[in-house]
Amino acid sequence: MSEKALADSPVALLECRRINKSYNGPMVLSEVDFSMKRGEIHALVGENGAGKSTLIKIVTGVTNRNSGEMLFEGRPIGIEHSKTAAQVLGIAVIYQELSLIHGMSVAQNLFLTREPRLPGLPFIDIGKMNSLAQELIDRYGFTLKATDVIDSLSIAQRQTVEILKALNSKASLVIMDEPTSSLTSTESAQLFGIIKRLKEDGIGVLYISHRMEEVYALSDRVTVLRDGRKVAVLEKAEIHPEEIIRLMIGRKLDDRDSVHTMRKSDREVVLEVKGLSSEGKFSGIDFQLHAGEILGIGGLVGSGRTELVRALYGIDPHDSGSVEYLGKPWEPGVAGSIRGGFGFIPEERRLQGIMGLISMTGNIGITNIDVIRKMGFVSDRKELDLARKAIGLLNIKPADPSVLVGNLSGGNQQKIVVGKWLIRDLKLLIVDEPTVGIDIGAKEEMYQTFARLAEAGVSIILVSSDLPELTRISHRILVLRKGRIIKEFSEGQVTEEDVLKASSGILPGGAK
Amino acid sequence: MSDTKTVGGGGTKLLLARFRLFFILILLMAVLSVVSPRFLSLENLSNVLWSVCIIGIMCSGFIYSPITGGIDLSVGSMVALAGIIANVLMNIVHMPMLPALLLTLVFGLLVGLVNGVVTTKFRVPPFIVTMAAKTYLFGIAMFVSNGDTITIMGPKDFLSIGVGKFLGLPIPIYIMVVMIIASHILLKHTVFGRRAIAVGANEVSAKLSGVNPDSTRILAYVISSGTATVAGIVMASLTQQAYAPNAAGYEFDVITAVVIGGTSLLGGSGSVAGALIGAVMVGFINNGLNLMNMPASFHPLVTGIVILIALILNQGFTLPAWMKPKKRAAGGQA
Repeated sequence: MSEKALADSPVALLECRRINKSYNGPMVLSEVDFSMKRGEIHALVGENGAGKSTLIKIVTGVTNRNSGEMLFEGRPIGIEHSKTAAQVLGIAVIYQELSLIHGMSVAQNLFLTREPRLPGLPFIDIGKMNSLAQELIDRYGFTLKATDVIDSLSIAQRQTVEILKALNSKASLVIMDEPTSSLTSTESAQLFGIIKRLKEDGIGVLYISHRMEEVYALSDRVTVLRDGRKVAVLEKAEIHPEEIIRLMIGRKLDDRDSVHTMRKSDREVVLEVKGLSSEGKFSGIDFQLHAGEILGIGGLVGSGRTELVRALYGIDPHDSGSVEYLGKPWEPGVAGSIRGGFGFIPEERRLQGIMGLISMTGNIGITNIDVIRKMGFVSDRKELDLARKAIGLLNIKPADPSVLVGNLSGGNQQKIVVGKWLIRDLKLLIVDEPTVGIDIGAKEEMYQTFARLAEAGVSIILVSSDLPELTRISHRILVLRKGRIIKEFSEGQVTEEDVLKASSGILPGGAK
Repeated sequence: MSDTKTVGGGGTKLLLARFRLFFILILLMAVLSVVSPRFLSLENLSNVLWSVCIIGIMCSGFIYSPITGGIDLSVGSMVALAGIIANVLMNIVHMPMLPALLLTLVFGLLVGLVNGVVTTKFRVPPFIVTMAAKTYLFGIAMFVSNGDTITIMGPKDFLSIGVGKFLGLPIPIYIMVVMIIASHILLKHTVFGRRAIAVGANEVSAKLSGVNPDSTRILAYVISSGTATVAGIVMASLTQQAYAPNAAGYEFDVITAVVIGGTSLLGGSGSVAGALIGAVMVGFINNGLNLMNMPASFHPLVTGIVILIALILNQGFTLPAWMKPKKRAAGGQA
């Protein structure tokens, strides 16, 4: 049977009909229809909690649906689906966090548990394994060697290996969950090339992304989910970013200009940093932060941005220089910072921000322990009040404080991380990549929250790689390069290009 | 899966988990009462409670080491050494009872401090640190006692701790109940309890929330060692004996009790009430073997198998999270 004939066959690759799912109580998916053809690039979009991840989990057998029909290549899949069954059928998932084994070679990863054996012997035929792997790599024209060790590869290359792994297991449906979130634009372009190759081979690609331009450029069809229901399926000609967003959130967003006006604040100085240095991380950092100001910190990953804000919050020590907070000398230290009105939203939510196996209440309570404690004891009632307040403030779903944070969607997890600070008497909020991996609606909410805080006089330091985000919500931008402030945008017009150029060291009239 | 049992992990779930544990306990009691008619007699039950007391007291503090993501293997040796030190102070140095016991307690707390400091500041895994402590504490006990079984002759007040009764119940039961309740309150309703859970659940996140993971962990080991010391004092008084290998292996009974009770050895969750039920079960199992007049050489074999069955039953009614696809994904990508 040729790939072509299969691609033309009327039987859909995947057909889901009236899928229903609830974990505990509320419906996460209701009556969702979803179908995919062979050789189709299909984008699945929706806000946080719209049910995208759940749908994927049902298809891949990570969780079971409550009701509804599911057919793969025309064959029905029972309610009791499993991950193994999905793999056998040819459904492969490329997760955000990659599942490769470090310390092993590309070939070893590709052939894990299916290693070719020496004839008649229980030993692995390493030569054969490597050559088979290399064949596969070459067939897709990747610049990889079968003997490369995973640790030596970039994130994009590792993702390529993941895809190869799927191809090697004869997958006919490849699911990618936010594949470009950690890629540079060049790497993303390469990935798109690969996705198109998969399509040509008759493989269906189901693609979740929050980046509208990607969805627009790549997809043959788009399925939009909202609040656990299918809202629309758009054909190629109907795909317009504006329309998708409107369908996703049911409200129209303004066109975002790429040119933004910086405005210098003349309000009182909240934080003054003088010559702050930390060996090998950053040096000679000077800046002032005013009340109600959103100070953006741009620069490439590794420019010292994260290290600087960690030092300001007091997680890591600094070597020299000084910090003044509210007009007084300030020795940063986490507990003191929190008492003093600091808030900190770390860059890696799952690793640093949340305690997944603990309830929303517990997550919020631990940060606000100074508020809810009376002597050495903790007031459960006050803690619950705080949790309810945070849930209400940020419209966290589900609005049940006893839910384990690990069970929330990415956007709602991030709301917990932000929310636990908002209920405090906050003066300075440090945020590091606050909107990575959350959808556009939750991003908007996040930006509005920051704007509201700034209006209320809270100063915000925003570290971001997202240039539209950085230029749009910052009042002033510092660009770091190799641990130093290379450029400050404090007035006039700024575009994303200006910031990117400065980050890369291209400055008109030399460095400041 | 035990992880949901701590902080507001859903009332129904918690209730079910508790019921399950009770169910297994009742099942065990039913089996034992069939095996030996003497089992359900009041006399025997209060005997069990006596032996449960030592494990229960140890559990009340030990539990903080797994909750913070560590383990304290030195508690068994600490129990034996505490009895020996208390005896030396009272009967050889002739200190009055109260200061002698306090001094013993201070020693125990110091041992915990050393365990905690070495674990956190020198970054030696707690398994290794406390295994070393287990060995050197046993060494001290052997050295001080000359390896002899010492019969504790007095003082009278001291002996009455173990054998005395109040309102018809042995005093060690009151000690245990007070310590279990105190530990329950400490875990659920104090700043330290919250911090211990947070450190075990996600150290980085806890740190960013202003928790000092090191001091939280150190305190966990201090408490663990402290309660082991109390258990040692009670045991010495109860048995009127001090002997270096006395409580050898008790650390495993304690681990068994807390794990049966739903405390995760991976940190971030724990239940003191569950640990108490676990301790009662461990006590029942040991007691049952005695009642059946089974040769002592069979005890470990049977105990091990029964504990294994209890643990499987405890997990089996609802699948543990790692077997449950939904939960697994929820912790990861969402």
